[in-house]
Amino acid sequence: MRYDSVLDMIGETPLLRLDPAKHGVPEAEIFLKLESANPFGSVKDRVAWGLLRAHIDEIVENEQVVVEASSGNTAKALQIIASMHGVGFRAFTNRVRVREVREMLSLLGTEVTEMPGLSECPDPTAPNDVFGVIGDLMAAEPGRYHHTSQYTNEDNLRAHYEQTGREIHRDAGSVDLLVGGLGTTGSTRGAATYLRERNPATAVVGVVAAEGDFIPGIRSAAEMWEVGLFDPGFYDAIAAVDSADAISASLELATRHGVLAGPTTGAAYAAARERLLAGPGGPVRAVVIACDRMEPYLSYYRHRRPDLFGAASPAPAEEAPSATPGDLEAWVAAGEHVVVVDVRTALAFQAGHIPGAINLRDDLLEQVMEAGMPFSERSRVVFVCPTGDRSARFAARAAASGRKAYNLEGGVLGWRDSGRPLAGV
Amino acid sequence: MSQRFPLPAARHPLAARFLDDAAAVGEAIERFGSPLHVVFPQVIAENAAALAGVLRRHGVPYEIFYAHKVNASAALLAETSAAGLGADVASAAELDRALTAGFAPDRIEATGPKSPAFIERIAELGVTANADDLWELDRLAAAAPAGSAVPVLLRLSGFASPAVPQSRFGIDLADADAALETVRRAPGLDLRGVAFHLDTADPAARVDALTESMAVVAAAHRKGLRPSVVDIGGGFRQRFVDDPEPFQSYSQALAAAAPGELVWPGHDPSVSHKYANHRPTTEVLERFLAAELERRPVAEVLRECMLTLWIEPGKALVDHAGVTLASVLYRKRAAGRDLVVLDLSRNQVTPADQEVLLDPVLVDGHGEPPAEGVFLAGRLCLESDLVSRRKVFLESEPSSGDVLAFVNTAAYQMDLSASFAGGHPPPPKIAAVLEGGRFAFVADDHHGS
Repeated sequence: MRYDSVLDMIGETPLLRLDPAKHGVPEAEIFLKLESANPFGSVKDRVAWGLLRAHIDEIVENEQVVVEASSGNTAKALQIIASMHGVGFRAFTNRVRVREVREMLSLLGTEVTEMPGLSECPDPTAPNDVFGVIGDLMAAEPGRYHHTSQYTNEDNLRAHYEQTGREIHRDAGSVDLLVGGLGTTGSTRGAATYLRERNPATAVVGVVAAEGDFIPGIRSAAEMWEVGLFDPGFYDAIAAVDSADAISASLELATRHGVLAGPTTGAAYAAARERLLAGPGGPVRAVVIACDRMEPYLSYYRHRRPDLFGAASPAPAEEAPSATPGDLEAWVAAGEHVVVVDVRTALAFQAGHIPGAINLRDDLLEQVMEAGMPFSERSRVVFVCPTGDRSARFAARAAASGRKAYNLEGGVLGWRDSGRPLAGV
Repeated sequence: MSQRFPLPAARHPLAARFLDDAAAVGEAIERFGSPLHVVFPQVIAENAAALAGVLRRHGVPYEIFYAHKVNASAALLAETSAAGLGADVASAAELDRALTAGFAPDRIEATGPKSPAFIERIAELGVTANADDLWELDRLAAAAPAGSAVPVLLRLSGFASPAVPQSRFGIDLADADAALETVRRAPGLDLRGVAFHLDTADPAARVDALTESMAVVAAAHRKGLRPSVVDIGGGFRQRFVDDPEPFQSYSQALAAAAPGELVWPGHDPSVSHKYANHRPTTEVLERFLAAELERRPVAEVLRECMLTLWIEPGKALVDHAGVTLASVLYRKRAAGRDLVVLDLSRNQVTPADQEVLLDPVLVDGHGEPPAEGVFLAGRLCLESDLVSRRKVFLESEPSSGDVLAFVNTAAYQMDLSASFAGGHPPPPKIAAVLEGGRFAFVADDHHGS
């Protein structure tokens, strides 16, 4: 199909009916609304263009800079649209947590201001949130910025009401269940409002990350319940999904249905299937919003499922040769070359470590050792962690590849408690 | 009939059982009088076990210090001693009570601003000093005899992170080096670690404060000191309601109401959202320990840093560990409104004059809920002595001689503001213990003195 502007390609995404023999819910039709087919790769393309389309001429005319609270897909889409029109864009966020997303924003030239600790949603109970920072910025230079405000802007809802919801109804007909991840809540609320106008019995399930867990692009259960944030009465249920289930479900979508969707889609699919399986049964038509693709989250998958990335089976930790603090001191006193490798986090290392140690935290050391053994065969290498339990596997692995490697008995804690000195950075 | 906006308080099973037992309430009032503060030592033990359970589940070495200032009760203090907690004391009088309750000096920590006399006692006993200022450290250094090892925590403030609320307490991070130097030079002091306390439920604020505090731990190591504790203070919330919805409806109605409709004329109808909290009192701690720091849960980072986590809960420990009883004197109509006059004063049940956004319970109440809300009036000769400045919607119709129970009042509400105004002493306090299906009462008076 021919297009004259990439912006015309936003929306009109495919609705894929999953093979019932493969999704395994009796009598259910499950559709995926493939928002990943949008040109910049996510459901947020609709939001970005929906927020800017009516204002872009004015923004260009007044040479304004677009600002938004986003750490991901919205920022990416806004940046692309802003760049296409020759205007600037700044993203404010509490934290960009996925490597590929960060790299993509860098590549596109986005100016990202990270404010760790601040809430990214407007939160009446928090004295300072990202909204407050944007408000201060705009007040300092009136007229300089255009805040698209995806969390509060009705155009966010409208884009999903007029497009996403309408398309779903046109292609699927009457819908019994709509399931989607909750970030701004725009996609589920906008689309569901349209669907409920046609079928008031449409149930809507909003998906959040389980308490203490992280799934990119959606909130956690704790963030959901801050007073006044959103309208919980709109949803028939809020489903909390943990990252392990989200990953498993997205892998199932890829291998059984050929849909390469990200972890948020996996979470929504897992929640939809669980609700359908627990339900009364009978014919039911469900739609799951598939918000983006799998590839930008490879590092997320690798971090949580190293087993899928060919992580070698470790040498048995109990085979690690061990050394006492006395051995270590004797080797140093004898003038031997000794490398003490502290596998704790940088913060712990800074706060206090064995004098002369180097710091290579365990997950990074793991990656280094996968690439090759970094230490000289002539050095003695002593691995340390808080108590000696976690460092043993590295000592075992280094010893298995011919290094003079040892695990420090009792770890840094034993070292400290024997009265030996610690160094701070 | 106008619309009703009840704000039902969550009730601990023990408190519910007591308030449902009209004979027990009657016996308490008859023996000890009205008004009356009742504390439940069994509840503080349960709360302590819940907090300890969270810390154990996350595998963090810890100590819990009960912030005694939250309630002057000797029974609650004794219960925390029996439960193996430490005591956090804020004055020489509280220190004496902790010693009386059986805490050894090495299980006592002194926090807050301290007088020279208090500092002398801290040094003499070897109680842990949570130092609020360089001035205190200098005096402590002078008071601690050479050869002793009076444990010291540096309470830090002035964090750079915008997520951390500013505080009037503590030693500014810019002065931390001077503070460490004072401790290092003092022959009788031993740096136990660093401390902070944040008035927020935000886990990110504690994570940021912890991160910045670690620079002081590192600086301490560089000076040859051996810190082993990080103390994150208190600030753990109470759980006031089972369901936040009535509170939300109420606050919306309040915003939309005409002046004087839901609030006594002349008073500020602002609401405190803390009363909507329906999540467990352990939640703030849980969220902090599970928060990510360097892509790793805080609990694991603390283990790696080889630091023992100290916490000083007050409100979270006494959450639901007390109720306040008051008799209805009479009902009247004034200023076009219904009043229930109580033998209680506002300052005996509200902390620092803050309106309590929970409804009291009418003991042994019967019948349909009254259509109209009432204002609860106190007994002082002050127009402002309204126990409730907002209209409360009781579950049944009160009349002269009935007993109203204010639920969950053990945190600051009993002692913080109570005065002897009008010749009314602060209400007596008793401890109620459920034994074999019956409540046993013992007098528990400190009178907040």
